[in-house]
Amino acid sequence: MSDRALTSGQAVSVRRPEPVKEWAWWSASLLLVVALTVATWWLNKTVPTWNRQLRVIEFPVYAVLLGLLASGVLSLFGLRERLGAYFRTEFFLKTGLVLLGATINLAEILAFGAKGLLQAVILISSVFFFTWCVARWLGVEEKLRALLAASVAICGVSAAITAAGAVLAKKEQLAYVTGLVILFALPLMFLQPVAAIWLNLPPDVAGAWIGGNIDTTAAVVGAGTIHSQQALKVASITKLSQNALIGVVAFLLALYWVVVVERQPGGHPQGRPSAWEIWERFPKFVLGFILASVVVTAALSQGWVARAAIRDIQHLREWFFMAAFLSIGFGLSFRGLCEAGWRPIGVYALATVFNTLVALAVASLIFR
Amino acid sequence: MARERATSKRLTRFFTEDWLAVVVGLVLVTLVLAGLLRNIP
Repeated sequence: MSDRALTSGQAVSVRRPEPVKEWAWWSASLLLVVALTVATWWLNKTVPTWNRQLRVIEFPVYAVLLGLLASGVLSLFGLRERLGAYFRTEFFLKTGLVLLGATINLAEILAFGAKGLLQAVILISSVFFFTWCVARWLGVEEKLRALLAASVAICGVSAAITAAGAVLAKKEQLAYVTGLVILFALPLMFLQPVAAIWLNLPPDVAGAWIGGNIDTTAAVVGAGTIHSQQALKVASITKLSQNALIGVVAFLLALYWVVVVERQPGGHPQGRPSAWEIWERFPKFVLGFILASVVVTAALSQGWVARAAIRDIQHLREWFFMAAFLSIGFGLSFRGLCEAGWRPIGVYALATVFNTLVALAVASLIFR
Repeated sequence: MARERATSKRLTRFFTEDWLAVVVGLVLVTLVLAGLLRNIP
């Protein structure tokens, strides 16, 4: 190889083709993300038709597995780095979260009445703080602690995703917690309705118990169906009222993270960040989430849009979340997963037992 | 030159993925509400 210095003309002629090449790789990467997202969507739609019990396995499982597979295959051919440009976890997650905000009708929170809201507030706050304290006691890392507490206390996968955005968690932490949510939802879907029948609970109480305890919406529907139609109705409403409070939790969590946890040492004499710093570091998707929710609530209450539009936004949101979990699978580090250790499993198990007992007590008091 | 660099720095700072996600999300919501995006599978 010659060590002769290039003239400026030669240098330009050498550099010119690069952007074209880069565009080709970017386009290929975008196509790959789209193709894998479509494959995830197909699996999510098709697998439950093979066996009804498989519907509890939600799209994050397929997406992470496909992402891992793509990453492995591309690594074999040495193409992983070049085709990785569009696996943008953060962008897909946050856009999906703004769309999630648009599917939350604030008027519904009031429509559920005092009972549903009261149960949601008691359960979310008590389960969140219990999980937080147990996780701290067991020495679980702070961001993982926030994800665990949000997912057990609110609504599983969506809450874990929202909390991950609010505290800027690692993708391995989100994958880990999502796996736990799905793993724990599966046995609860069968055990809880059977326990409700064995305890001779009235359908309203059974529904409120199921909706207040089981984390994933699919498993709530499954458990409610096993018990009774009335239990299914109450369980769905209870779950919705918990989901509706996800924005409040995201806002408080993001604020707590910026003001307390990630305070810059030495930056502020009294240890308090300035308003500008809070604004700069505050996750902006929370504002998009709230704005989208307000706009859709206003549009629905004024009758400007049909409810079918909300279904379309829900589907769009799922597409973005599928792409996000694909990207998580693509960049997943097993070392990062192993770093979390066994402790989060213990925290999740203890929190689920606590949630089961508190949800039963609250449902019996409020809905009897 | 310095002013261009400063402008570019400000723009880069503004158009983070965080803001981009908010803009894209709100645009998509608007398109669906306006009936321009329908029957999403």
